[in-house]
Amino acid sequence: MEEFSLYVLDIVMNSVRAGAENIDVSLDDRGGLLTFKVTDDGCGMTEEQLERLSDPFFTTRKTRGVGLGVPFLKMLAEQTGGDVKVSSVAASESPESHGTTLVATFHSNHIDFIPMGDIKGTFVTLIQGNPDVNFTFVHETDGGEVRLSCAELKSVLGDGIPLSSPEVLAWIRGYLAEAYEEIK
Amino acid sequence: MLKMKLSDIINSLSLTVVVGDVERDLEGVYAGDFLSRAMSRVEAGDLWITIMNNVNVIAVASLTDAAAVLLAEDVSLMSDALEAAREKDVTVLSSGLSVYELCVALGKFGTAS
Repeated sequence: MEEFSLYVLDIVMNSVRAGAENIDVSLDDRGGLLTFKVTDDGCGMTEEQLERLSDPFFTTRKTRGVGLGVPFLKMLAEQTGGDVKVSSVAASESPESHGTTLVATFHSNHIDFIPMGDIKGTFVTLIQGNPDVNFTFVHETDGGEVRLSCAELKSVLGDGIPLSSPEVLAWIRGYLAEAYEEIK
Repeated sequence: MLKMKLSDIINSLSLTVVVGDVERDLEGVYAGDFLSRAMSRVEAGDLWITIMNNVNVIAVASLTDAAAVLLAEDVSLMSDALEAAREKDVTVLSSGLSVYELCVALGKFGTAS
């Protein structure tokens, strides 16, 4: 994974697989410090699962016994002088209010940091693959802020038009392209 | 295609065995430090030369079924990585030579396919 956007995709997909309905993704990239935060209302993790999160030999996946999503993110963060913190409430312990918050920090001007890659393409990919999830994307840079709320889009579009329909995706692509042009 | 045992190159290049079994046949060699790339490029039976020393290296070696990890430039494994290597039966070797010097020295055994 040679671009940061791939890490974003990988980590956010954990929230999707945790059955989250609402996922807030924020990238605060100002003054050389990048904070990547994901908050979801998925099934969460127990304390024991949380402790083993940065262990690559821990995974909930059944197909292979290695999970490198969080370990790779942690490695990248630490290589640039940052870190990763995860807090979580498991649905098994709190059926009413559960979910996970991951906060990763990076010094984005560190020599070992990698290119950002296609962040807006990543947002579109996530929406396209998971049209039922209410994503909120916020990307703050020194030039300004880009914001996209799937819940708002749905309330404008009404029921019956999935966000994954080609017309809606084309609109989202255009909106993001324009928004990113403004904060360049 | 390389046709030799790990123990052959250990003797020939005076490598240190950090942990693991050395009787395995060697199929090829991969050199590189970018773990996500190594994950897709290291093939089963390969000797993987790197300077990375954390537990993720052991995970990638285990996932790809590498014959061994060879740590260059006298890099030593972090303690949790050493423990994981023992647990997962991943062979780890080390050498004071650089990645380049190791590749040059391995060249006389033939070219990996």
